[in-house]
Amino acid sequence: MSERKPAAATMIQPGAYPVMSSAAAMGLMRALRDPETSLAAARVIADHAAELRTAVLAHIDRVEEVAQILDPAAIYEQAHEIRGLAGNAGLAATGRISNVLCRYLDAVMRAGKAPQRGVVALHLEAIARAAHAEDEATRLGDAVANELSQLVDRKLAEINESDAQR
Amino acid sequence: MSGATFENLKALVVEDNAHMRVLLRSLMTALGLKQVYEAEDGAEGFQLLRDCRPDLVLTDLSMAPIDGIAFTQQVRLSPDSPNPYVPIIMVTGHTERHRVEAARDAGVTEFLAKPITTQNLFLRIAEIVERPRPYVRCKTYFGPDRRRHVDLDFSGPWRRKNDTGRSAA
Repeated sequence: MSERKPAAATMIQPGAYPVMSSAAAMGLMRALRDPETSLAAARVIADHAAELRTAVLAHIDRVEEVAQILDPAAIYEQAHEIRGLAGNAGLAATGRISNVLCRYLDAVMRAGKAPQRGVVALHLEAIARAAHAEDEATRLGDAVANELSQLVDRKLAEINESDAQR
Repeated sequence: MSGATFENLKALVVEDNAHMRVLLRSLMTALGLKQVYEAEDGAEGFQLLRDCRPDLVLTDLSMAPIDGIAFTQQVRLSPDSPNPYVPIIMVTGHTERHRVEAARDAGVTEFLAKPITTQNLFLRIAEIVERPRPYVRCKTYFGPDRRRHVDLDFSGPWRRKNDTGRSAA
């Protein structure tokens, strides 16, 4: 690895650039430390969970559609939306499995390869099962996410090995 | 930066997903901010930055046509930018290292990983308020100092010219 030449860097300290006024900063910190604010914010997150869950289910329908043509970018886009929303929808396992799928697709696309249909299908089935299960305890999501993560590790190792052999 | 008082503080939420955008706006309102602006992508976000002069920006990473990285670069580097120093919190579900590094190198101030929790959101905002970071301007970067930790055992390679004296220390 070649070393970079040191660059001439100018440091600009807070105060030398415009920062929040001390009155505003104090007010904001007071609000951030107020237990009532934390409760109100927690209520906001809880109140949005049902709406987000509906959105996750809609994205699951969409990802199953785009998976038919095995377009990795389109599948990634939907899986990314699912992982972004699922946690706040009370669907933690769904989010974790979607994250594993995103990791796989991202690596495959960066390697210029096509994703394996079977790997994508396994993830999508697990995502749908986790999202539709009655409650978190019956989703067995952690175990499934771990298994799929190991599968993805193996698949990505295969890609790296085949690239190295060229 | 505006906001002589807490009541005057303004936040801008840049997020293409309507559900997440509403959630973030509602969280800012719960925090007590009365002026919260919303944009669906980086282009609209930059326009609102110019029109409304927010004190804090929350942005997503993946958006079209202008994503959170391009938006952040525009805020930091564009001659049209009304406040290149505005704190930017990137709220993202991306965990891929290369994407996070690209966002950091665009000049993001803080990262907030999804799912959003009250504690993590408030910690990021408190960090910005209580410990504003120096900004670095060099040929290849302008934005908050990306060095957060001082490693006394670090012996190089030195990347800044004013680092070189440290190697002899």
